[in-house]
This record gives sequence, C-alpha cells and structure tokens, in this order.
Amino acid sequence: MNTVALNTDQAPPISVPLRFFTAAPLFLILAALILVSAADNPFAAARTPVLLAATHCITLGFMAVIMMGAMQQILPVVIGSPMPASGITVWLTFLPLLSGALLLPAGFVLGQPVLLNLAWPLLLLAFLVFIVASLASLARAPARNATRTAILLSIFALGGALGSGVLLAHSYATGAALADAGQLLTTHVTLMLGGWMMLLIVGVSYQVVPMFQLTPTYPKWLTATLAPAIFGVSLLSMLPLLFQFDAHRLTVATQTLFWILAGSFALVTLGLQRRRRRKVADATLSFFGLGMMALLCAALLAIATPWLPTIEHLETLTVMIFLLGFAMSVMHGMLYKIVPFLVWFHLFRGGMNVGVPNMKEIMPEPRMWRHLWLHRGTLAVALFAPWWHAAAWLLALGLLVQGVLLGYALLGAIAVYRHTLAAIREN
Amino acid sequence: MLTIADFMSANHHVCDDAFANAEQAALAGNWEEAEILFNFFRTDMTRHFRMEEEELFPTLIAAHGPAGPVQVMRMEHAQMNTLLEQMAGSVAHRDAKEYGGLSETLLIVMQQHNLKEEQMLYPMADHYLSPQRETLLGRMRMV
Repeated sequence: MNTVALNTDQAPPISVPLRFFTAAPLFLILAALILVSAADNPFAAARTPVLLAATHCITLGFMAVIMMGAMQQILPVVIGSPMPASGITVWLTFLPLLSGALLLPAGFVLGQPVLLNLAWPLLLLAFLVFIVASLASLARAPARNATRTAILLSIFALGGALGSGVLLAHSYATGAALADAGQLLTTHVTLMLGGWMMLLIVGVSYQVVPMFQLTPTYPKWLTATLAPAIFGVSLLSMLPLLFQFDAHRLTVATQTLFWILAGSFALVTLGLQRRRRRKVADATLSFFGLGMMALLCAALLAIATPWLPTIEHLETLTVMIFLLGFAMSVMHGMLYKIVPFLVWFHLFRGGMNVGVPNMKEIMPEPRMWRHLWLHRGTLAVALFAPWWHAAAWLLALGLLVQGVLLGYALLGAIAVYRHTLAAIREN
Repeated sequence: MLTIADFMSANHHVCDDAFANAEQAALAGNWEEAEILFNFFRTDMTRHFRMEEEELFPTLIAAHGPAGPVQVMRMEHAQMNTLLEQMAGSVAHRDAKEYGGLSETLLIVMQQHNLKEEQMLYPMADHYLSPQRETLLGRMRMV
C-alpha cells in the first residue's frame, strides 16, 4: 500500500486557486467587448476573427484558467496527491496562460500575426507545465478510482488539443496552408471540449455531485466505462486526420456516439440530483443542474443536426450551448461552492474558531441566485444569437454583467478574508 | 465479508441523512422538530467520532499505521465539533439564516473529510488491521 504518498492535508495556500479564479471574470468582460466590436452579427458566420477571439477568451481566459486553478485545489482532496513544486508550477502556468489568453484573442481581432506568434509559445509552456505537473500528481496518487482515470484521460486529451491548437495558431499567423486544416480544427475542438473539458468535469462530478449534493453515488457501470468510452470516441474521430482519408460517415458516427455518451452522463446526473437527500434550495446545485440540462439539449441538437441540413448555424448553436450552458454553468456552480469554503477553511485553519464568518456570510447566497437568473437569461438569448443580431448584443451584455457579478463576489470573499485575518491578528 | 471501509462509510451515510433532515426542518422554521433532529444528528456525529478516536485510530497507530493522516482527521473532527457547537447555538436562538450558513460550511468540511477517510484512511486501516478486523468492528459497534 502506498503510504508514502498519503497525506491528507496538502491544500495549497489560498492565494494559489484564488489567483486563477479572480483573473477569470475579466475574460468574460473581454469576450463581451470583443463581441460588440463586430460590425455584423459575430455568430452569423463561423470562424470569423471576432468569434475566434471571443471563443478563446471564454475557453482559455475563463475556463482553462478556472480549471487549472481548481485542479491545484482538487487533486489533493479527490485523489490524495498534490501537484509537485507548487510554487514554480503556479507561476509557470498562471502567467504564461494569462498572457497567452490575452495575446491570442488580440491577435485574432487585430489581425496581427506577431501577437499570435507570441501567444502560442506562451500557451504551449503553460499547458506543458500543467500537463507534466498533473501527470506527476496522478502517478503518485494513492487513490486508484474512476476520477483518477477520467482526469488522466482528460490530460491526455489536453495534450492532443494543445498540439493541434499550436499547429492551427502557427498556420493562422504565418498564412501557411495546412493540408488538413479542417480535420485539424475538428480534432482541436473535439479534444479540447469533448476530451479535456468534458472528461475533467465527468471525473470531478463523480466525487462532488454525491459529496456536495448528498445524492447517491454514480452507478458503477457508468464510472467504469464512461470516461474510457469518451476518450476512445475522441481517438476514433482522429483517424481520418492520422491516416489521411476523408470519412464523413465516420465523423458523423463518432460525433453521434460522443453525444450519446455525454447525454447519458447528463441524464444520470440529473437523475441523481432528483434523488438527493439534501432537499433545501441551493444556488450552486441549480447551476449544476442547469449545466446538465444544457448538456442534454446540446446532445439532442447535435444528434439531430445531420437530419436537418436546411437549417443553418446548428453546429454553432451546439457549441454555444455546450460551452455557455454546460461548462460555464458547472464552473459558476463550482466556484460559488469552493471559494467561500476555501476562505472559511484557511481562516479556520489559522487556529481561530471564534469570529470566523460562515460560508454564506463570505459569499451571500442572494447574489448567487441573481447571477443564476442572469445566466439563465443569457442562455435564453444565446439560443437566438446566430439568427438575430440584437440577441447577440444581449448575449454580450449578459456575459459582461456576469463577469462583473462573479468578479464582485470573488473580490468580496477576498475582502472578508483579509478583514477577518486582520481582526484575528489584532486580537 | 464486511470491511472497516464498508462499515464506517455506511455510518457516514447515516450521519448525512441526519444532517439533511435537521437542516430541512431548521430552514423551514420548524424549530421544535429541528431541535430534535439536530440532537439526533449531533449524537450520530459524536458516536462516529468516538468510534474513530477511541477505537479505530489508536488501533491503527498501534499497528504502525501512518500517524500523520490520523492527526489530520482528529483536527478535522475538532473543526466539525466547533461548527456543531455553533449550530446548537443557532438552534437555541431560532436563527435559520445563521444555521443555514453554518450547515453549508459543515457539509463541505464533513464531505471532504469523509472522502479522504473513505478513499484513503479506511482502505489503509483494512490493510493494516486485517487480522483484528472482526474484533475491532465489534468494539466500534459497542461505542
């Protein structure tokens, strides 16, 4: 039995995750500003510079930043193993990721290849350090469970997504035509969203859904098979790229299979939430539930899309529902659960148990509910954005206000932490 | 064969149910019921802590099990006891808002603590204490 690696009190300093989390809302605001800078509806055409820039603000600046910060906090708890050399790892991921996430969208919007050529090496560095640190942590983990498997596969997917992303960014910057640009783009999106993001959320959900929401645990048949199946489907979808053949049917089949798996995960999670033992209202639970409903909708839409060739923009809409409806909802929910706990935990661990505010005093719940309603509204207008320019504007406005609300909540929690710490030290 | 992990994890679920029942009554403002259910919950938690602190942990340490994680578990028990004490105060004052904030905090402390025990400490205890598992389970049932 691996007892050397077992240490149950390995939480990093509070500044580590909070540094990542507080940077993230800025990118929602930035994405909103980029979207409104477009002369036409940015969602009406795929792969316009504005849409590429705004998408990467959200996927890199908001989501990757949150996921990297959360991983440093979550790994010690869910698999019993922290990231190695946390100080160096943090700086070699945080700064390059942040800089890259600013430079890449700027390069797209301003049409400046030099910015893209600055961005991709920084992002390569940040993700490579993160991948190596995560793999080291996973290798030393005493826990051998489905969460560890899912996180491990998500890291492999991230590696592939990173490689394809670097090739695409380099080619976009230099204008060098890639023989398989279309396939490479499909691979990049599949591995980044369907691989890394989806598998990480799946793996973490196995632990946090039963834990935070007091639901039954996920069924064994699902935890044993889902993550390897999603990863396997992602690999299958890369076959046309690797072996240079055009296989429309294979692409449709693998995508359909992926969405059936993703939809099953959403259905099972919603079923577990319905059977939760803790029945009281909880904004973070509602964010999570909304995320699963959105994932289910994205799955149904994606499966129906090949049968509806006359309707435009369905693929764009599927990606929007997946990113904004599923991934973003889950991340909001996780942040509103984790951040107040971290503040409480670090204050309490300082040895003080009198005068430490509880979680709902650190982040008042009414603000979370307001944010949830705003997020629901943003998603509702997002459904019309590809066809209606005014909806695209409202979507941008929704993202902007969400960035402000989330940033305010996070800074408020940090202010509570600082005030309480100062008061404790004075006494 | 019942393992220490099975037995203690099942006891975590008993505590979870009691937690959820007490919280629901308190947040609904049914204070008479909440007081009874909170006391049930607190009794379940106290018994669980005693099973670990009086039986499981000393036996594990005596069998040369790892002392560090046991120390962390004891520290987290102390954290949870402080929160339980504060929750008892909010039940006495009929303060649903304060109860809700404290119970939310306790839930997370409790769950991440349980996760560490179920995934790491209990399997370790089963490994170190396999020859004496039956007698240990018997003693814990008596607590």
